[in-house]
Amino acid sequence: MTLAAVVMIFVSLVLAAFAAVTLWWTMHAWRTPETLAGTRFAPPDGEQHLTFSLLLPARHETAVLEHTVERLLRSTHEGFEIIIIVGHDDPETAEVANRVALGAPGRILVVTDHNEQKNKPRALNTALPYVRGDVVGVFDAEDQVHPLLLEHVDHAFRATDADVVQGGVQLINFHSSWYSLQNCLEYFFWFRSRLHLHARKGFIPLGGNTVFVRSDVLRRANGWDGTCLAEDCDLGVRLSSRGAKVVVAYDATIVTREETPGSVTALLKQRTRWHQGFLQVLRKGEWRRLPTWRARMLARYTLTSPFLQAFSGVVIPLGVAVAIWAQLPVFVALVTFLPVLPMAATLMFQIVGLHDFGRQYDLRIRWHHYAKLVLGSFPYALVLSTAALRAVWREYTGKRNWELTTHVGAHLSATRPATEVAA
Amino acid sequence: MTVLELVKPAQEEPVQAPRDRSDLYLSVGLTTVVLALLAWNITGFPTASDDEGTYLAQAWAVQHGKGLAHYTYWYDHPPLAWIQLAAGSWLPGLIAPSLIAVAAGRIAMLPLQAAGLLLVYVVGRRMGLPRWAAAVGLLTYGLSPLFLTMGRQIYLDSFAVVWLLAALALALSPRKHLWHFAAAGAAAAIAVLSKETILLILPAVLVAMWQNTARSTTRPWAFGAFASGLVLVGCFYPLYALLRGELFPGEGHVSLIGAVQFQLGSRSGSGSIFEAGSGANSLVRSWLYYDSVILVAGIAATIAGLAIRRLRPVSVAGAILILVALRPGGYLPAMYVVQVLPFFALAVAGVLAWTIGRLDRWFKWGAIALAVVLAATVVAPRWYVGDRRALTANDNAAYVQAAEYLRAQPPSTVVVDDVLWLDCVNAGYPEQRVIWFYKLDLDTEVAARLPGGWRDVDYIVSTPAVRQDPGTLPTVTALLENSTVIASFGPADGLIEIRQVLKEPQ
Repeated sequence: MTLAAVVMIFVSLVLAAFAAVTLWWTMHAWRTPETLAGTRFAPPDGEQHLTFSLLLPARHETAVLEHTVERLLRSTHEGFEIIIIVGHDDPETAEVANRVALGAPGRILVVTDHNEQKNKPRALNTALPYVRGDVVGVFDAEDQVHPLLLEHVDHAFRATDADVVQGGVQLINFHSSWYSLQNCLEYFFWFRSRLHLHARKGFIPLGGNTVFVRSDVLRRANGWDGTCLAEDCDLGVRLSSRGAKVVVAYDATIVTREETPGSVTALLKQRTRWHQGFLQVLRKGEWRRLPTWRARMLARYTLTSPFLQAFSGVVIPLGVAVAIWAQLPVFVALVTFLPVLPMAATLMFQIVGLHDFGRQYDLRIRWHHYAKLVLGSFPYALVLSTAALRAVWREYTGKRNWELTTHVGAHLSATRPATEVAA
Repeated sequence: MTVLELVKPAQEEPVQAPRDRSDLYLSVGLTTVVLALLAWNITGFPTASDDEGTYLAQAWAVQHGKGLAHYTYWYDHPPLAWIQLAAGSWLPGLIAPSLIAVAAGRIAMLPLQAAGLLLVYVVGRRMGLPRWAAAVGLLTYGLSPLFLTMGRQIYLDSFAVVWLLAALALALSPRKHLWHFAAAGAAAAIAVLSKETILLILPAVLVAMWQNTARSTTRPWAFGAFASGLVLVGCFYPLYALLRGELFPGEGHVSLIGAVQFQLGSRSGSGSIFEAGSGANSLVRSWLYYDSVILVAGIAATIAGLAIRRLRPVSVAGAILILVALRPGGYLPAMYVVQVLPFFALAVAGVLAWTIGRLDRWFKWGAIALAVVLAATVVAPRWYVGDRRALTANDNAAYVQAAEYLRAQPPSTVVVDDVLWLDCVNAGYPEQRVIWFYKLDLDTEVAARLPGGWRDVDYIVSTPAVRQDPGTLPTVTALLENSTVIASFGPADGLIEIRQVLKEPQ
């Protein structure tokens, strides 16, 4: 057997193992009906004991801010305040914020961020001294928050004695473009399933919003890291390693709805930022203080896996092409097909996931959406790998500025009746 | 909610109730008994058949890295069964070198049959049968003279049906675990790649999964997992053909699709089973000769079982197999019944359990008494005769003597049937010079090895298989005409002759 064949077999086996582990973890919530039932919020007891301070950083978000605040104000919980954080160089958003604040005096506070370099963690840190509630909740300016969410979170904090509660976030505008379909499903699998596995195994990168932390715990941790591009992931790692108790719950009915980036370029920038943020968290090394070896290994694996995943999405199909065209011995060629098994199974489960997604959110999924899903998976893998490459390059060359995602409100239309969406 | 607990609260060790191992002891105990009966006289009965020799020789080719067959592999059957056989068939011959090859191969089948017996019990339990009924199912399957006959032989169907039972057991997983369903799909694919005809009863596995995931939140995921396992494992076979450039039919090479077309279209039928004298009719008669009990009771129980929810998976399998056997003009292979037996046995046990479970006290005891009396008066005498034959008959003596004779000869060019092929190769005959009789006329590559035609052959071993269709194979006919008997073994109806070829016309 030639060296090339040995290399092909080795690479195939590694890729197959990686793809199989990823698939295994991604499908965590659906392992058994009991696991699935265990991922939901426990039904609230109707009592309200905690007070919430909901932080809402808004930067050039005039289009969606007002709607988001309106939804938040509809919350059934009594004890909450909203702190909108606007930049000193962004008078348009500040104007909208002040206007909505007048509509609900005492509920809404507008804080101005005077940092020269603006980013989300710095904005959140600016607001932290003003927080009065027992619990700090973070939302993004384009989030659609369900009125019942706070009651559920209140109960979850009390019932489990948690320090952190992470609720579900779901991109909803799957119909907008080919990549938004992939993006929506990515969120679906992450919040519905994968995050619960992380919570169970002792290492959790938190999400960027619908995350609730006890104020004293957050203050003791000195808030967010203003230099980190993935401040949410970083916070999760730091709180995990300090022994905080994290609870994850997902309910399709009260999930926070968001929209996908408005263009492939925006998606690329957003993903580059996340990947680079993961790299930064990895280099910071806070995860080394996690209590168990398993949790540390999981942290290392999780923080590097976006890169592996992105590349394997491209390398596996290429490997198959090589296997077919390069006239390898039949046995070697068959081995190179092994990584395709978990990859194709992932696609199969994504099809089921799209069906389930449609059912959970009462959206009408048509046959062409399934076709888009299948056809779009390779281009999407290309986008993700490009983002991963960019992230490595930017980190290597020291470019660490914040590339912001703008929002147009595409997910708001998704709440119209399904027929209208399909039309 | 999923809770992340970094410091586990101190837990008291829960007091474990002693695990109930009755199922394990019962199923393993019964399997051991049946296996002992299966192994007893496995070399003597039944007569070694051509097919057994064929599959064993193909397993030999896999073992020796000569590809999927020792002649051109033409996609007649998917290869997974003899690849599995290759994993075990080398061992018995190593321990007892005096055995003829087919006998050694049969011994290698025993672990597989043990798995099949255990799986019948597991499937029965997972369908909701009480312990005694699952045991009745195992015994009905294992003690049937048909099983004690065909279960000993080297058939692809045995591999397929065991894997399908595994798929059923996994589809009925009590935990409804996603990966069990994926494994069920993979097992079903292995079953199909062991013997393609088992594809017909895959709906039984789907029915089992449908029932098992009823009112479950994970049903679509379960079917997604099953489909993944089935398709992704199954696709390796066409992929193999594709990589070899043998997927599509074309000039000068064999192909997978061409073979499928042949199997479905060109294969001549064996007639209707209701038509006296047809091939299918005499085949069914021979099955009934071995064991009418399991066939008659099985058909009745299968039809009744269709109406009982928890018996539906096995009844669907049985019913499909019955309908396929009944179709007029189709081809009915001799080992077809191997796939039928476990489902009939489970249906019988299931209907019995259902009936007894629904009756009140007095009727219940009456029914039990009736079942016992029937078993003692109708079943036991018939099975005793059949099983005794299996344990005592010595039908392979002629083959053993012929193999011994050939071993003692110096290697030469010899034409044999499939049974003796591997014995000659094992005895040191060059593999290129031991020739299956029908390849002489049907395989151009083999014909090319003998430029002088039949005159290049030194010996032909004439067995019933060689004489089966006189006149259809010209080279074989010529060899039989131009040879003299130098040794002969066995009784007249199973005569085996070693014939020396006379090179010059007399």
